[in-house]
Amino acid sequence: MRIAISYPPIINEHGQKAMVSQNRNVQFFKKPTYLLPVIHAQAATSVRNSGHTVLWDDGNAQLKSYKDWLNDLVSWKPDVIVFESTTPVMKFYWSTSRQIKELLPSTTIIMTGYHSMRKPEETLEKSPIDVVLRSNNIDFVLKRLVEHMDGNPFWRMSCNIEGLTFRISDSEFRSTGNFVQVEPLDDTPLIDRNLVQWRNYAYENGNFLQTPGTYATSVIRDCMFGKCTFCRYNGPDLTFSMMSVQRSLDEYESLINDCGVKEIFDDSGVWYRGREAREFARGIIERGLHKRNCYFGLNTRFEYLDEETIKLMAEANFRFVLLGFEAADDETLQRLNKGYQMEHVERCLTWMTKYGLHPHLTIMVGYYWQTKEQLELTVNTVRDLMFRGLARTLQVTICTPLDYTPYHQECINNGVLITEDYDDHDMSKLIVKTPLPHEEYYQAIRTIYAISFHPRFLLRQVQFLLNFRKRDWQFLFTYGIRALRRVRQHVFNLTRNSKR
Amino acid sequence: MGINREYSMYSAANDEFIDFLIRDIGDGIVSPRLATCKPGDLVEIGGPYGNFCLPQTLIADDVYIFIATGTGIAPFHSFVKTYPELRYTLFHGVRHKEEMYDRKDYAQESYTVAVSLPEDGSSGLRITETIRTTVLDPRAVYYLCGNRLMITDAISILRDKGVPGGSIFTETFF
Repeated sequence: MRIAISYPPIINEHGQKAMVSQNRNVQFFKKPTYLLPVIHAQAATSVRNSGHTVLWDDGNAQLKSYKDWLNDLVSWKPDVIVFESTTPVMKFYWSTSRQIKELLPSTTIIMTGYHSMRKPEETLEKSPIDVVLRSNNIDFVLKRLVEHMDGNPFWRMSCNIEGLTFRISDSEFRSTGNFVQVEPLDDTPLIDRNLVQWRNYAYENGNFLQTPGTYATSVIRDCMFGKCTFCRYNGPDLTFSMMSVQRSLDEYESLINDCGVKEIFDDSGVWYRGREAREFARGIIERGLHKRNCYFGLNTRFEYLDEETIKLMAEANFRFVLLGFEAADDETLQRLNKGYQMEHVERCLTWMTKYGLHPHLTIMVGYYWQTKEQLELTVNTVRDLMFRGLARTLQVTICTPLDYTPYHQECINNGVLITEDYDDHDMSKLIVKTPLPHEEYYQAIRTIYAISFHPRFLLRQVQFLLNFRKRDWQFLFTYGIRALRRVRQHVFNLTRNSKR
Repeated sequence: MGINREYSMYSAANDEFIDFLIRDIGDGIVSPRLATCKPGDLVEIGGPYGNFCLPQTLIADDVYIFIATGTGIAPFHSFVKTYPELRYTLFHGVRHKEEMYDRKDYAQESYTVAVSLPEDGSSGLRITETIRTTVLDPRAVYYLCGNRLMITDAISILRDKGVPGGSIFTETFF
């Protein structure tokens, strides 16, 4: 069969492109970061390995216009097209699938992703899409589904693979029940980098200090904590799967030797911790990969990595550590089920900074309960951490309910969601009722981003140079210039609605 | 020490004290420290978090099957102590017999153990083998807690036995 894994270019009225990939909320950017959708890349590899012909069709990363993307896809004549959904692009995908069905009526369209996973019937009702793949383990389920479909005209009725909802007719759908929660990640292939044209994602990524960089095959699928209310990796039917340390090490070795990458980021919701984290770092050192001029990065949580592990990771040439710092007040952290307390944040960041890691804070504002005091506490705490050099970079987003996460559902149940239009969930504006005028949250975003240009922050970066670590020099002179452009974009995206 | 770990509660919902069942991982960071704690030491506890719970209103006719390895039995101990009327069967996989924690708290007919490394040198048994060879009710509600390999295998066995995915809940160790 001919299978296209497709990401159409989605361009808004400002000429900005949507970044859509797993583990990322949709945001529109004029110069987007191109993120490799890791699980879909594994799915593409898996299906190709089963003998099917695969088109890796990321119109965004391939810099296509929508028209060119559509023409190319139609002329390729796929038997199956796979899309990935999230709330703010649902209407776009429903419309696109109608257009495709007119041009390719016999092509089967499969929708994946966290929005349609929660509302499969909605997508089947509002579009001609044929199948909603409800599992987060897209690689496993797609492979089984395609094998079942191949040469079987009755697949809609005969397929009993878990986690699928099929269109039987315009109004009749068939579900195969809940999906398998845990899959053995060691049984799914590592990403074929050539198949997914990895170089398209190797340079335009604001988090890479050196290029070419790449995303590793995630060692944890979804999140081992999985309890934060705003996160899509949360639900009674979701858990996490883990890949073995040695297999991941093999991939890192191959990426460095065969692709010559200079930075590898693992976008697992939360990377290894404890014994696995130490085994991985030791493995990097034993294989000599820490001396190959390649930095490593990960997502983690405050209080997940102890000092000994952090020290070992620093020896292994880890650099970029992305930490969710959703707020600075304990009430918000409790309401979000974050599971850490403010008093421990500083200790964790101190350890990381001490050994030369570069902590990156991801901050959110605009919770429907967030008071002026809570907002100011967050802004002031972030400023303090940045001025003291305990965090090196940051990003701020508006907490946007989406994909029917517990926070999204909570906003609906409490009547605080002020729109029913999915397009409004694109993180460009607040869409919940708040105790303060929305402008105050937008101003907080501007204030937080302005920290990066404050003389005290810059002076601290200069002081880091005295450690004579290459990464600190690169940070100031390479990353700094790039950051200027990106910060400008972020501020524009997140505050442009305040002028309306 | 500023490091967090998540543990399931071992005690019943209305017990006077909160108990946890924690194995001392020799090369771990948190559990060896906990093992050296003395009465009076301060340990901070946050939470509770998560969804691995019984329904708030138990349905009298529901049958629950619990499958655990090692200290993964902790939440099931809490379930059983909290709801004495619970209709359940517990499958517990352990390496050694002494890991049959508080065996007396489970009804004789409700508890099945598989010992993978028996001290007497006899061939061991994995809990997944036990459930593979046991007749199980596909209409029961299944809760799995323990190491991820067990959970992966157990899910596959349960699906082969006709248990719908929506009736299987998991809590995986890492």
